[in-house]
Amino acid sequence: MIQFQANKTLLTSSGRQEMEIAFEVEKGQLLTLYGPSGAGKTTILRILSGLTSISSGYIAVDGEVWYDPRKKINVPTQRRSIGFVFQDFGLFPHWSVYDNLRYALPKGEDPHLMHELIELMELGPLQHTRPIFLSGGQQQRVALARAIVRKPRLLLLDEPLSALDDDMRHRLQDYIERIRRHYDLTTVLVTHHLPEILRLADEVIWLDKGRIKLQGAPEKIFPGLANSPRAPRT
Amino acid sequence: MSRFFSFLCCCLSLALLSASPPRPNALVTDPHTAPLQEVLVAAAADLKFAMDSLVKAFSATSNDISIKLVYGSSGNFYEQISNDAPFDIFFSADLGYPQKLEQQHMTLAPIVPYGTGQLVLWSKNLDPSKEGMNTLLLSSVTHIAIANPAHAPYGQRAEESLKHYQLYDKVREKLVIGENISQAAQFASTGAADVGIIALSLALSPQLQKEGKYWLIPPATHQALKQGFVLLQHAKGNEGAEKFAAFIGSARARAILKYFGFGE
Amino acid sequence: MTDWQPLWLSFRLAFITTVLLLVISIPLAYWLAYSRWRGKAVIEALISLPMVLPPTVLGFYLLIALSPSHLVFTFTGLVIASLFYSLPFMVNPLISGFKSLPPALRESSYTLGKSGWTTLIKVLLPNIRPSLLTGIVLSFAHTIGEFGVVLMIGGNIPGRTRLASLAIYDEMESMNYAAASTYALILFTFSFSILLIVHLVNHHFSRPDPLS
Repeated sequence: MIQFQANKTLLTSSGRQEMEIAFEVEKGQLLTLYGPSGAGKTTILRILSGLTSISSGYIAVDGEVWYDPRKKINVPTQRRSIGFVFQDFGLFPHWSVYDNLRYALPKGEDPHLMHELIELMELGPLQHTRPIFLSGGQQQRVALARAIVRKPRLLLLDEPLSALDDDMRHRLQDYIERIRRHYDLTTVLVTHHLPEILRLADEVIWLDKGRIKLQGAPEKIFPGLANSPRAPRT
Repeated sequence: MSRFFSFLCCCLSLALLSASPPRPNALVTDPHTAPLQEVLVAAAADLKFAMDSLVKAFSATSNDISIKLVYGSSGNFYEQISNDAPFDIFFSADLGYPQKLEQQHMTLAPIVPYGTGQLVLWSKNLDPSKEGMNTLLLSSVTHIAIANPAHAPYGQRAEESLKHYQLYDKVREKLVIGENISQAAQFASTGAADVGIIALSLALSPQLQKEGKYWLIPPATHQALKQGFVLLQHAKGNEGAEKFAAFIGSARARAILKYFGFGE
Repeated sequence: MTDWQPLWLSFRLAFITTVLLLVISIPLAYWLAYSRWRGKAVIEALISLPMVLPPTVLGFYLLIALSPSHLVFTFTGLVIASLFYSLPFMVNPLISGFKSLPPALRESSYTLGKSGWTTLIKVLLPNIRPSLLTGIVLSFAHTIGEFGVVLMIGGNIPGRTRLASLAIYDEMESMNYAAASTYALILFTFSFSILLIVHLVNHHFSRPDPLS
């Protein structure tokens, strides 16, 4: 369960913008952040991960406080239990897929999760290849696997599928859904793709100019697109 | 990446080790037990060829002493020695500098004069003896090399002679300054300078004898270039330095100095 | 009969200086590349000064600074001088290298729970190898070529501070043009070869995508 509150002054192409956001996410749920460019979607992910600072607010995940200026708490990125998939993946070019994952595995941890993920994401034959030789979709899967191998409490995905064709996109949405169910990961996903939102999201926040414009279940926010295949939640 | 670091560590250790290599000519603090003693000599540039001969003659008799020579202008050496440069003996083209060092209590023994330097006009392409000092006024002479009067005694004397002949203002624009007297000679020897006012000792060297002609500037037109050498504080306990200093007074050494024009 | 000692001295000086500079410059370049301190520009300007300052100015200040500790006229003094003299040639390529890395590289390492130090050693440095090589080669070559500073604080002492660059000057002054020419040719060939290697390696590293 995430409790999030943030105040920050953003510098965008249209000048200064005050960001004021507050929301909560239930454990295991997938929240989508939607909105025009510059609305602050990526910024929220970065704030949650501690990569971007804020002037005031409050962040707590599963009861653990990550940010509270009144108590002078600001947990550094390294100690937040997160898995972040950046827009440009951030894969380490000098290592193979296997080494990228091994680096992510905490010291002393059993590598079986790593092997499990390699299988799950169908990365077996590509294990010893370097990222530069992989296609966009393959790199995407590696980035996802790497983000998850440390068993984070929170999964943050920044437009992870934007550069892929529809077929690949659909397959990777499957992976994301599969992983989320399998490891019960609370997820925040940033995306523009409406069908994707309908397929994956439990909750949508529509951001505009640093504030929440709309919030609710995807069918409510995008009523016209209600007729799309969406696996019922059990 | 760890391979890179092991490589770096190897380099670092190599670097540190090579900082103090076990070399035969390492400077030792106790000359009595060392196999090879080192003597560091600061020599005025006019001694370039004379000193080479002197060291050769000396080494023939004592080959366990290594004389290391540094040539430069006397004024420069005075500055460096005043700032604790590690020289053992200082050969100066002007007694004034060793005298100042004596006053600063930086000398180990009394100053020993070894001769008087002389000034000459030297030219690669012209014969200076035809016109004497007026050679400098020739239109074909566009550059005249002298040593830096600020810190080279030969340069100072060159200025004095020029002023004596009332030529200084006329040729001032043509003057080219060498770091020391031997750089001035080098400018002249390549022909870069049409004429050089240089030391007789350099003009008498085999190289310059072959390359051009000289004319002795009357010594009366400038202050005498009384040359002398002195043992410095740094040479304390350095037997090699004392031996070399003693050698300069020998008949053999005097003959060499005379050959290079260092008359009394 | 070439005296190899000045060349050996120059090589030793360049080698020691380069290794020390590497150790000093990696943290310095890292800090300058990633810090957001407003006073950074002052430090960057100071570091780059030796590239534009006449060597005699640097020599002058070093002479004043090193005289009290009797480091003038010593090889150690030359090492210290070279550290200042060649610093920008190591630091600046490293800064460029760090800045050219996509921020996601560093940030994703942090999100994976890795400290700044681990990230530097295991992720950042391995990905700026061309910059490391450039820095090493440039500082090495630049130190070999040091003349003005060495002239001012070295004393030109054979076996200690008479580097190859000074030896050439000496031989010219003594009109031993053959010897001067030998040194000059050796240094020229060395510098040219080393720069050729740098360019070849950089071409190798910036090869186009093998899949394209």
